[in-house]
Amino acid sequence: MSAAATGRDQPLLSVRDLAVHFGISKGFLFSRSIGAVRAVDGVSFDIGRGETVGLVGESGCGKSTTGRAIARLNRPTAGSIRLDGQDLSTLEGAALRRVRRRLQMIFQDPYSSLNPRMAIGAIIGEPLEIHGVGTTRERAERVRELLAIVGLPRQAADRYPHQFSGGQRQRVGIARALALNPELIVADEPISALDVSIQAQILNLLARLQRDFRLTYLFIAHDLAAVRHISDRILVMYLGRIVESAPSAELYRRPLHPYTVALLSAVPLPDPAAEATRRRIVLRGDVPSPAAPPPGCPFHTRCWLRERLGNPGECTSAAPPLRTVGGGHSVACHFSDAVAETRVNGAGAATAPPAGRPPAG
Amino acid sequence: MLLSVQDLSVRFQTEDGTVHAVNGVSFDLEASETLGIVGESGCGKSATSLAITRLLPHTQATIAGGRILFRDVDLLGMPARAMRKLRGRDIAIVFQDPMTSLNPVLSIGRQLTEALRAHESLPRTDAEARAIELLQTVGIPAPAATLQRHPHQLSGGMRQRVMIAMALALAPRLLIADEPTTALDVTIQAQVLELIRELTRQRGTAVILITHDLGIVAQMTQRVAVMYAGFIVETALTPDLFAAPRHPYTIGLLHSLPRLDKERGGELISIEGSPPDQLTPPAGCPFAPRCAWRLPVCSTANPSLTTASGSGDATDARAKHRVACHNPATAEEASAGQPLRPGTAAGLEAVP
Repeated sequence: MSAAATGRDQPLLSVRDLAVHFGISKGFLFSRSIGAVRAVDGVSFDIGRGETVGLVGESGCGKSTTGRAIARLNRPTAGSIRLDGQDLSTLEGAALRRVRRRLQMIFQDPYSSLNPRMAIGAIIGEPLEIHGVGTTRERAERVRELLAIVGLPRQAADRYPHQFSGGQRQRVGIARALALNPELIVADEPISALDVSIQAQILNLLARLQRDFRLTYLFIAHDLAAVRHISDRILVMYLGRIVESAPSAELYRRPLHPYTVALLSAVPLPDPAAEATRRRIVLRGDVPSPAAPPPGCPFHTRCWLRERLGNPGECTSAAPPLRTVGGGHSVACHFSDAVAETRVNGAGAATAPPAGRPPAG
Repeated sequence: MLLSVQDLSVRFQTEDGTVHAVNGVSFDLEASETLGIVGESGCGKSATSLAITRLLPHTQATIAGGRILFRDVDLLGMPARAMRKLRGRDIAIVFQDPMTSLNPVLSIGRQLTEALRAHESLPRTDAEARAIELLQTVGIPAPAATLQRHPHQLSGGMRQRVMIAMALALAPRLLIADEPTTALDVTIQAQVLELIRELTRQRGTAVILITHDLGIVAQMTQRVAVMYAGFIVETALTPDLFAAPRHPYTIGLLHSLPRLDKERGGELISIEGSPPDQLTPPAGCPFAPRCAWRLPVCSTANPSLTTASGSGDATDARAKHRVACHNPATAEEASAGQPLRPGTAAGLEAVP
């Protein structure tokens, strides 16, 4: 479902130079600011109507903070977030509430995001009540409809969250998010707390809802396989910045950022034959603290390519900008050409087994 | 044989009744070997590992039957003291929740260096240097400062890495790793898996790797057992299981997984429904209610684990492909992810 193709040129969501910094202060009586965690540090991207954009990266890379800023659960420090042209980064009060009808969020842990004392029907109907939609009877009817849409029995309305399994609770979270007919859904790790067989049910449900209701998704996850499955386009974040962006298949076939290469090579494939022949790039160390990001390229402290190239000075002196390399593919690396070369020589990460390999199972 | 688990059964007493957590599970393990146990929450994979290490909570859990032979000694009859000693030296465990196995009142440094000194009788300063090195290998930033800290001062991911560092320090004969990397990022997971591989290569450590991640099983293990509702439903050499899975549950797991190495696909084949509560022993096959291959017999008789057709040539019993199913899938069905023979779909008439 390609986005830009579906009509209007203007993207549904347009994020420009988004920054979210959290202050670190010291002291109690004479509290003073001693720095800032640059959780999101200048992120720009668009999402077209009906498109699914995946946002991947490891803990602390800023992907969830980005999602929460877009849903305005965090206040952005700088930058703009335009939904259909309207900047919601600075909205407050009633104006913000109006925009929220069009933009809903699905969370990772459906248990902690559902009030344990409220019946499922009340939970799903709450957004309708808050926004004063319909009469009591109409709202009850809408709740029944939503339960059917997400595949829960009608009787679920009178039960409580603890009476449901993780997968069913996630269906409740999805029904609640759908209550106000939103256009954009920010899904933050929506399947990572679920068992494997249940993850597939939820991924299928999200795909069906997108077709049925022309939804647009920002799908935030650390599971690269799930992200590849559901996304048209993928953004890779590292230390608060987007380091690579490309259509899904292209990103997996031809990753151009050394971090993306390492990330893809680290995911174990459920195929023993592929695993036996595969080259893995094991990164050393941990992600640096976003309170003290390294100078130059944020990835240089763990970069295997920089090491292979003999530690060129550019990596530590200048942050590489995100530049377009064609085919909707952008990368923020001074030496992304060298990434492509290492792969051709077979010295890099075989990020995916060659096409035509017989499937396992 | 390093470890031989024979007909192990574990029950949990809960408010709702007795949960049949592990039901007649048997498997063997040799030195240097890595066995994967796969399954979803509640399948009994963790209860099995707790039984082997005798760490089941006494108040709720009972071992209802079976033997656990570790170097020919039955662990179930071993005095608690001797068992503790064994756990500190020969058997190490890495849990999903590391808080349960770290001592909350001792610093990380104290716990790590004590483990090291008990094992290698190193002088204190050397043990400290080695501890710092270990913390570094498991990806802990500022390892020297971390030695001074207590478990509660670390994040979950950090505690997990400390646990793994401790297991590595012991270089045990048997490492039981229960979802060891589930809480970790994929690049850190790769580091930890590399460390475990090194341990088996260099020290001959045998590993039981308990995980829900079939990718980790494919990468790390030689043999694999698939558990469902407390039963082993299929077991085989890892390449055989992935190449030709026979049990509908295994096939379901493989097909419900989005694949990183596949073009964006259509609908995933999901397993509908959810696992049973295990409060009553199943009359038939525990997977029958969710199974597309089921026959009438499946709801009346629980199939036992038997050698799958086509694996008769394996002389080593442990290399045999075994499956507990009345109607195992054919190779074509396994790759299609659904039954193809007429009469095998749910609700239809039995095929003799």
